Amino acid sequence: MNIVVTIKQVEDPATPPSHMVLGASGKSVQSVSGVPRVMNGYDANAVEEALRLKEKHGGKVTVVSLGDSSARNTLKRAIAMGADSCVLLSDPQWELLDSFGTATVLAAAIRKIGNVDLVLCGRQASDSDAGQVLYWLAEMREFPVASPIVKIEESSADALVVHSLLEEEYQRLSVKLPALLGISSEINEPRQPSPKGTVTATRTMVPTWNAAALAVGPLTCKVDMTKLEIQIRTGKAELIEGADGAARGRALADKLHQLELL
Amino acid sequence: MAGILVIAEAAGTGVTRESLETASLAMRLAAAMQQPVCGALLGAGDLANAAAQFQCGFSALLLVESPQLATYVAQQYVAAVQSLIAKVQPAVVLFPHTAKSRDWAPRLAAKIGSGLVLDCVNVTVEQEGVTASKPMYGGGVLAKLVVHGDPALVSVRAGIFECAQLSSGGAVERMELPQLAAHPGIQHLESISIEGAGGQRLKDAKTIISGGRGIGEKDNWHFIVEAAAALGAAVGCSRPVADAGWVSSSSQVGLSGALVAPDIYIAVGISGAIQHLAGISSAKTVIAINNDPEADIFKRADYGVVDDFKEVLPAFVERIKQLRS
Ligand SMILES: Cc1cc2nc3c(=O)[nH]c(=O)nc-3n(C[C@H](O)[C@H](O)[C@H](O)COP(=O)(O)OP(=O)(O)OC[C@H]3O[C@@H](n4cnc5c(N)ncnc54)[C@H](O)[C@@H]3O)c2cc1C
Ligand SMILES: Nc1ncnc2c1ncn2[C@@H]1O[C@H](COP(=O)(O)O)[C@@H](O)[C@H]1O
Repeated sequence: MNIVVTIKQVEDPATPPSHMVLGASGKSVQSVSGVPRVMNGYDANAVEEALRLKEKHGGKVTVVSLGDSSARNTLKRAIAMGADSCVLLSDPQWELLDSFGTATVLAAAIRKIGNVDLVLCGRQASDSDAGQVLYWLAEMREFPVASPIVKIEESSADALVVHSLLEEEYQRLSVKLPALLGISSEINEPRQPSPKGTVTATRTMVPTWNAAALAVGPLTCKVDMTKLEIQIRTGKAELIEGADGAARGRALADKLHQLELL
Repeated sequence: MAGILVIAEAAGTGVTRESLETASLAMRLAAAMQQPVCGALLGAGDLANAAAQFQCGFSALLLVESPQLATYVAQQYVAAVQSLIAKVQPAVVLFPHTAKSRDWAPRLAAKIGSGLVLDCVNVTVEQEGVTASKPMYGGGVLAKLVVHGDPALVSVRAGIFECAQLSSGGAVERMELPQLAAHPGIQHLESISIEGAGGQRLKDAKTIISGGRGIGEKDNWHFIVEAAAALGAAVGCSRPVADAGWVSSSSQVGLSGALVAPDIYIAVGISGAIQHLAGISSAKTVIAINNDPEADIFKRADYGVVDDFKEVLPAFVERIKQLRS
């Protein structure tokens, strides 16, 4: 099975807003110095799932990331986990792309890789909180798409049975390959890089494809960012006092009763 | 293309609260644009009652009623909304942000090449055009995004706007659901309803008690279930709890789960990560029980107790029972 996983390097989502600052353009956000960027969480789940499919069916896992040169670190992490090869998609003109633009570049890369049976994306990126790139990409490649996927129940060389989450139900879907899935966190626990993988990753040269290499022309945004604002929370709860935990629990009940809340 | 199309989701024999909230934003935006709003309602079964609830002073109300909408099939929704757009020719389409629209809207956007912003907390008309305010980075950052496209597509987060008032409007018209050739790539095999979700709809619950990783292990989950039963509350959870399978994902509150708007939200053993808080921005009173006084949840909570939940929660519940009887 020839699998491509799209992975995005993001600011660590555990960084509190008080430790974030706007970038020079005012249209990006970065952590104050020292907090390393990480692989988007759902993309790590997607890499893990791809590796499991490869272990079962054989084949190859290629990871691709669109970003600046620092995204090499995230690609190398996927190699250390066990991915076979990686490509960085990078060009100065791709700095502020929207979902459509990002998907256009990813679609061109997947076309260039060729013979892809399955594309795994994360259900959403933790910086954009968009959950769109995968659908645009699927439309451009004319792949069937399902998301958020919480389980791959069956897999064969030409089809998968997956569980997709709706509000109060799972849908069991049969998906014919080639296809694209948006992976959710329930599906697995991503593995840590092995020592051998880490050595391989250190030795890996990351190839870079730019706009010319992919023959992607200038891209016009369908959604333009005009402003970003960091939101810092400053509130403080009233803490209920008491001799011990149980007394504090009772005092909390009394308080809510007094306020006619419960 | 002009005016606004607002698309509601039917639920049971009515419309969802999120639909009415979206309608009120649509009316506000229409006033700013000096353009009309057309309503639309999609659903299986008889929509007459839902249509009566979704009378918010629209220029017209379009109903797409078909048993085929009983099972969610993305292509079917895309086709239905596409036919509504073809008929109404709106400049902006607004709809509530739900598990369904999160899936059909980006498919539609990609198909017709329209700009789309999901899960917005406001939409305004600025010099640059239709502008959506969207929380990003889990809610730590608010972005202003100009949405291009004919039409511009925007989904609206629940719990931000008041429900639109009932008010009579133009004619109600029924539309046919476009017939689909079965999509060759994906076949719907079965819908498995999620156990335990049948009771209270988390989104409509007045009181919610949620447990987090601090509950420690699955064997402790009964603390939450028992407290919920005693309080008449719905059960929620944070993502690690859903990921670990202590409860199903339909109980997850937060950015990638349910956005809830209860009068009272009780967070037990939940640290207050920004992605969790994104789900409770509309909760009226938040109560936290956590043994770490530095936990971020205390910055969001109105009232808190610092201690082991095993000590606090049973005593709290017992006392509530006494006070109520
Ligand atoms: C893109 C993205 C989307 C996400 N979506 C969601 C989402 O929808 N919902 C969500 O919840 N999370 C979401 N997350 C995850 C989120 O970032 C946090 O990791 C998660 O909310 C933490 O869950 P928690 O508070 O239960 O666990 P923890 O952060 O581990 O907190 C556990 C808390 O329990 C307390 N505790 C421990 N023992 C006890 C005890 N005996 N008594 C009382 N308190 C105790 C600890 O002090 C701690 O504060 C998302 C993350 C990303 C990146
Ligand atoms: N710059 C990027 N490079 C690689 N993959 C990406 C990029 N942006 C988005 N994706 C993929 O698309 C998914 C959804 O992203 P988004 O639509 O931004 O929420 C992510 O989980 C990734 O798998």
